[in-house]
Amino acid sequence: MSALAEIEQGIERLLTRPPYGVDPQQRHDALLALLKKELAYACDLNPRFRNYVESWPIDFRAADKIAELPYVPVGVFKANPPLALVEVDLVKRTLTSSSTTGQVPSRIVLDAATARRMARGVVTIIRDFIGPARRPYLVIDTPENLIAQAELGARGAAIQALGSFATEVVCCLRPGEDGDSGLDLDKLLAFAAKWKHDEVLVYGFTHVIWTRLVQPLQSRGVALDLPNVRLLHSGGWKRLEQQAVTREVFARGVASIFGCSADRIIDYYGMVENVGVIYPDCDHGNKHVPAFAEIIVRNPLTLAPVEAGQQGLIQVCSVLPTSFPGFLLLTEDMAEVIAYDECPCGRRGTSFRFAGRAPKAEVRGCGNLENTRYQQGQRIGVA
Amino acid sequence: MSDLIQAVDSQQKIACAARQLREIAQQKELTPRMVLDVFEQWAAAMDDHELHDVPGVTFLRLWLRRGNLEPILLRELGPNSLNRAWREDGRAKLRAFPLGVVGHWPAANIEIQPILSLTCALLGGNTCLVRVPRRLVGITQLLMAKLQDVDRTGSLTERISLASFDHSRTDLHEAMAQAVDGAMIWGGAEAVARVRGLPFPHWARVVVFGPRLSAAAMDAEVWGNKTERSSWCRRIARDVWQFDQQACSSPQTLFLERGDGCDPGEFVEDLKQAFQEENRQHPRQQIEPALTSAISLARASWLLGDDRNRAQFPASPDWTILLGAGAEMPNPTQGRTLTVLVVDDLLTVVSKFDGTLQTLGLGIKDARREERLTLAAARCGVDRIMKLGRMHVFGSPWDGAEVIRSMVRLVRHVPSQD
Repeated sequence: MSALAEIEQGIERLLTRPPYGVDPQQRHDALLALLKKELAYACDLNPRFRNYVESWPIDFRAADKIAELPYVPVGVFKANPPLALVEVDLVKRTLTSSSTTGQVPSRIVLDAATARRMARGVVTIIRDFIGPARRPYLVIDTPENLIAQAELGARGAAIQALGSFATEVVCCLRPGEDGDSGLDLDKLLAFAAKWKHDEVLVYGFTHVIWTRLVQPLQSRGVALDLPNVRLLHSGGWKRLEQQAVTREVFARGVASIFGCSADRIIDYYGMVENVGVIYPDCDHGNKHVPAFAEIIVRNPLTLAPVEAGQQGLIQVCSVLPTSFPGFLLLTEDMAEVIAYDECPCGRRGTSFRFAGRAPKAEVRGCGNLENTRYQQGQRIGVA
Repeated sequence: MSDLIQAVDSQQKIACAARQLREIAQQKELTPRMVLDVFEQWAAAMDDHELHDVPGVTFLRLWLRRGNLEPILLRELGPNSLNRAWREDGRAKLRAFPLGVVGHWPAANIEIQPILSLTCALLGGNTCLVRVPRRLVGITQLLMAKLQDVDRTGSLTERISLASFDHSRTDLHEAMAQAVDGAMIWGGAEAVARVRGLPFPHWARVVVFGPRLSAAAMDAEVWGNKTERSSWCRRIARDVWQFDQQACSSPQTLFLERGDGCDPGEFVEDLKQAFQEENRQHPRQQIEPALTSAISLARASWLLGDDRNRAQFPASPDWTILLGAGAEMPNPTQGRTLTVLVVDDLLTVVSKFDGTLQTLGLGIKDARREERLTLAAARCGVDRIMKLGRMHVFGSPWDGAEVIRSMVRLVRHVPSQD
């Protein structure tokens, strides 16, 4: 059996397990064995990745813990051409991250197999939170995000990932002339009237839901009568925090617009680099890790895993990708580990809470040339 | 906030402090000799266990010694300058006078910089209005308390006003700028650009130290010498560790000139040992998560960028050595990350330098070759060429500028009667 076939078999075994029901030690051992195989596979395919892995202070073949395996920072996916383990002709889709203005986005290449696993991973997770039924799907975004494209942004990827729960899809925003999207109120009200007694699924980026749906409807005094809604949102809180919108204010506002209870609104953490894995909040406000993934929160001073109750940089681990080396990724986000098992919600394994982006360094120093002509020249390769 | 450092929240407070300082500057003369007497005692008072672990304090004590400062004063201000007397200049007479009130904007990454900066202005007879970055309030307070202990007449202490306010308070920065006759600005690109743009009076003299980068270079006879190599590696580690590699004089890149039979991999092994030892002696106490991310990214980008590149690093972000080839300075990562680049000819490297490069640390066997490299570096904009291990030794001139003379006026008097 080829290395890839063996890996695919291992992934399949983990994908078919209950996502949050596996004993943490058993899950760790299964993941460790599979991640080692994936690292070896990636080293065989990509000499530069092998160069990185071989320079790691611990030989991954001898590692006893996932935390000892070589991880790469997510920033490496900003490289062009993208870091890949497949030839260009096998790339089915490229995902791009939602970078802020002036920043280079990450680019993640998916072959058919990875894309399929990505979809299965998300479905497995979401099913555990909202059940398996298909239902009408309201997207708080514009219709172009539904189009299958070779290059897809984070919003489009998140919207399309929930497509397998949909019986029909309605987008309630329309592109504006100035490039800004606006609410298509007629479409929205028609959707609400048609499905007012049914379970519906709603998804949108957190700040889009607030600024394009909740605020306009609040200002017009319009409420939707959809008490059986399941609203999922992601994309982070940074923009809303700038407007002093707390999680409580957001949940109250959304619940009043849909006429539902706040527990039907689920925030989840995810990133395109960690494709196929998302981390929704449970009823106790904690995020959980499915059987085919792991999370390690590392102390920034030592990069060692933190104890429960401590904060650090998030490392995400996933066995799903085989088209790019995204098995073990150090993010630039912070989280607090709540517990390493036994969340009151019943889900097994690590539970954590997202704590925002790592704050930018305050001390710049007289050796810091950021934004000078020198560094701009270096960035474009002319200095 | 301490009583020595005032938490300032209004422009009026700054204007009031500046007015008092101006009156003192105009009414009370302070000769360098008087300053040196107090500095000598201040240096002795700093030999205190509570200050032993503060980065740069050992150096500050040496800086304040009379034996160090007298030659600098004589060179910068000329003979008779210790008593601030007139000196003959043909038919004319010359004498140094203070500018008046000097504003100081020290960088937040150098613990001793508020003090270092104000000592330069005091030697010129000036009074000092210092904005102390929040991170340095504690240590500056400790150092100033030592001055207060030894300065019994208060002749120096009364000339110093220390203020702390948030870096975003543009109104307070502006009030400070409008009130001074000279400014010493230290720091990174962002901070320096902001302070330089403040509304200083048109007569104010402004000197800027930073932002700059520094590099090191060694010829094969030095780095290939197995018996001396570990000693050089210890020197390099010392230069990298000080100020957590965030100073403008911190080496970010080390260029090794290729030599027959010399293996850069062996050199890096020795350098790794020196880094491990330096880290054992001076472990990092804290780190910003953003710097940890930057270090991780530098390691990965280096090794993923070219499979001929090599690197040495521990599992922690404590230190990093990146080994490769090329004559271009890569973007600095800081955080004890040294890029070691093998080159065919150091002169090629040096000829690519520009004013960005502040200090070139050297380890060169042949003195004549070192002279050629020094000339080439100086022509390309480098201001300091130092032996490895001494890259941070503060002296005058610094960044090509005389630190005391830049804050005095040389007054010329041609007597009206022959």
